Amino acid sequence: MSNALVQIDSLRIDVKVTRTRRLTIVNSATFDVQPGQLLGLIGESGSGKTMLCRSLVGTLHRRGAYIQSGSLTFNGIDLVSASGKEWRDIRGKQIGYIPQSALAGPNPVLTIGAQMAEAITLGEKMDKEIVRKRAIELLEIVQIRRPEVVLKQYPYELSGGMKQRVMIACAIAREPKLIVADEPTTGLDVTVQAEIMQLLKQIRKDLNTSIILVSHDLPLINEVCDDIVIMHAGSTVEKIPSAKIQDTRHPYTEALYRSRIDLVEPRGKLITINGQPPTVGDWPTGCRFAGRCDYVKPGCSADVEIPSVKVGPNHLTSCIRQAEIWGK
Amino acid sequence: MNRNIFLRKFLGRLIRAISISFWVMVISFSLIRLSPGDPAAARLGAGAELEAIAALKEQLGLNKSFVSQFIDYFSGVFQGDLGVSLVNGVSVLETILRVLPLTLTYIVLSVFFAFIISIPIGTIIGWSNKASAVYTFRGITSMIIATPNFFIAMIGILLFSVKLNWAPVFGYVSEFPQNLKYLWLPVSINTLILVAIISRVLQTSVVDTKAEEFVETGIIRGVGRPRFFWFYILKPSLAPTVVLLSYMMGTMLGATVILETIFSLPGIGRELVGAVLATDYPMVQGILLFFGVITVFLSFIGDLLAYALDRRVKL
Amino acid sequence: MSSNKAFSADASRSERIKEWISRPGGFGIIAGCIMFVAITVFGFIYPLVGPYGTDEFVGESLEGPSLAHPMGLDQLGRDVMTRVFAAVPSDIGIAFLGVTIPLIIGTIVGILLGISKNKYMVSFVSSLIDGINAFPLLIIAIAMVTFLGPGLINVVIILTLMSWARYARIARTRAVVVLQQNYIEATQLMGYSKRRVIAKHVAPNVSSESLAYALSDFILVIIIVSGLSFLGFAARPPMAEWGAMIADGRTFIGQAWWLTIFPGLALCWSAISLSFIVEGLSRRDRGNS
Repeated sequence: MSNALVQIDSLRIDVKVTRTRRLTIVNSATFDVQPGQLLGLIGESGSGKTMLCRSLVGTLHRRGAYIQSGSLTFNGIDLVSASGKEWRDIRGKQIGYIPQSALAGPNPVLTIGAQMAEAITLGEKMDKEIVRKRAIELLEIVQIRRPEVVLKQYPYELSGGMKQRVMIACAIAREPKLIVADEPTTGLDVTVQAEIMQLLKQIRKDLNTSIILVSHDLPLINEVCDDIVIMHAGSTVEKIPSAKIQDTRHPYTEALYRSRIDLVEPRGKLITINGQPPTVGDWPTGCRFAGRCDYVKPGCSADVEIPSVKVGPNHLTSCIRQAEIWGK
Repeated sequence: MNRNIFLRKFLGRLIRAISISFWVMVISFSLIRLSPGDPAAARLGAGAELEAIAALKEQLGLNKSFVSQFIDYFSGVFQGDLGVSLVNGVSVLETILRVLPLTLTYIVLSVFFAFIISIPIGTIIGWSNKASAVYTFRGITSMIIATPNFFIAMIGILLFSVKLNWAPVFGYVSEFPQNLKYLWLPVSINTLILVAIISRVLQTSVVDTKAEEFVETGIIRGVGRPRFFWFYILKPSLAPTVVLLSYMMGTMLGATVILETIFSLPGIGRELVGAVLATDYPMVQGILLFFGVITVFLSFIGDLLAYALDRRVKL
Repeated sequence: MSSNKAFSADASRSERIKEWISRPGGFGIIAGCIMFVAITVFGFIYPLVGPYGTDEFVGESLEGPSLAHPMGLDQLGRDVMTRVFAAVPSDIGIAFLGVTIPLIIGTIVGILLGISKNKYMVSFVSSLIDGINAFPLLIIAIAMVTFLGPGLINVVIILTLMSWARYARIARTRAVVVLQQNYIEATQLMGYSKRRVIAKHVAPNVSSESLAYALSDFILVIIIVSGLSFLGFAARPPMAEWGAMIADGRTFIGQAWWLTIFPGLALCWSAISLSFIVEGLSRRDRGNS
């Protein structure tokens, strides 16, 4: 644990809604990322996963959000108190970011080549020819054919899959140690999705980059990632190796796993999770999944901090009743 | 590949502009026939001789059929013949060309200054997160826009001409640089109104742009400040502003009528008013045609400009 | 966020009203409505109950504002305040007609165009509409005065003739979009008669957008009507009308500023109150930033 690349401990992120109102978007996030690890981050909308991503690239302030408490360390650097200058050294160079595919990606008024140049140079002066060669090299890594042509094109001329590949190319331009990928394949064709996942795995292998892959699609994450962190209503509720997903020790993860669409038999019933996640800001006391949990007991909603306990190698959970439900 | 698509869309737009211009011509030509009663008689007044009325009718082409007269008119336009003023017999086209430069001058000046002022204001307020600044800005601009331009002009005159005597109340001299003395107040008023409009649209546009994901990416990539502002904020935001402006040009041209009347500037607006007061049908038709066609082409150019700025714009 | 409260059945009426106001734009809408209603009411009532008549000669000409005459007297000795309020039916009333009539005609034409299957007719009328819309409204209104003659009634006719095209364009664009929606297809599958579909589904959706535009247009038309009067093409003396009053007062601007400023302020007040409403509505539409 001590040589972790990223260490997040009891992180709390609040957002300033009005001059007087504050909302807690992320209540308590705890997990770590090892070098070269492919970590999945699963959660429904409102679980706080996107804010967590933004905290890793230092763009919380744009949304009026800030880290209220807890620690966030990257490569030994404290990101909670990092200065603008420190962020400039980290962003783009040591931490790369792949935005959601659904949100249109590259800047529409610039050519692909111009944007790749931005990602490669990060504002530093570089020889144009070197930049161009590197851009073509990167486009080839992400399996874009005819890179010289693409360099001159504008985003609107590319398909969704190609635009995402360009975003990936930009993210890996400086061979960062960590890549944060926020739902990089949501909304893309299934085949394209598979290709991009394959690409990410390859990148991890070749560059030994750690990748945090955010999604709401459990089967996908399960297949691709080494370990999975599950978030619900602003907290990380479980961290479990992918291979052991069936030995989950948290009711939410279990419910997610059981409701996989691929489990359903023809004409069978779709299994769903009861209820809705609690509204942001309207958090219930105690365990926030209690209202939807199959195993809930009165003690679950007691107004106490839910601790995170280690239940196996690389396996943490924060269900208070986990020992009762699944045995020791 | 993009060249061909662009050309096709360009031509499509151009053809559309031309066909609308055709309708503009039809409309300006036919409006006279909407007069209840006889326009020739109306002009000459009661007690005019029948021969005079008939002669005027012939001159106006009201005695022939609609279609044949329109064909005459149409071919006339292409030869540059827009008819002749009933007041002084001068060619309509000549008159328009004579008074146009002044109007163009102060419009171009106002638009130019307005853009220079609006771009920083619109961008800064759009980018800012301070609710107080935004509300004040939108409040003030709403009030300026809602105020009729002739009232702003009146206040301007009251303040600057009457009380402070920094500008003459009316009149015009066309030699440069004396004409600046007469122009600065009308241009300033026009600029003020334009700034309110343009900076407002730009502000809205910037607010929309800054919420886009690619702006976030730009920050993450650490793009340098000036470049960031132009390519990530301004350029994507200018497109709607330009489109709006091209549609506004029509209204702006309309506003010239009032401004020129107030300041007694001999531009095309005042010429129109004079022609209406004198029931000078050919002159009115000619100026009307001119305004219509110009507006069509200005919106055409505006759309092209917007496309050049931001390829997402539909052409 | 606790806005859930207002939607539960047991929210009291005053709570619901408070919630409505607190949503974005609410303040502007209320303020604008109050301002606008105020001037309209004053406009219709004051000339009837006020001490002076609209055309009555009550004192020295060009007397400044005083307690007896808060807005002063004009060059013919008439009380300016009475005249300013008396102008409301002319300015606001005429503008109202100049918006509602084209709104109704234009929306109907627009919907019909959206429904029609006759491609040639539709393109023909559409280009006609585009042609009419190509002219700046003030310009073509002025030109029309040449042919139809001046006067307030004529102005309404002119505005109707020219404005319907703008409403038709909006209505048509919107109707086309609405007709492509799934719920229209659903009604057809359910066997609704065409007339019912149009009346209950197409028309309301289209009109909501047209009405929104009409509100902004109202501001524009008020200004155009007073602009036309200013130029001498609409209201004629001795009619009380803001534009005409400002034009009259222009000659005396050096000596009697109140002749132009007060009618102008009334114009501003009307336009600004309406624009508060428009701004409030648009802020509400855009939601929270």
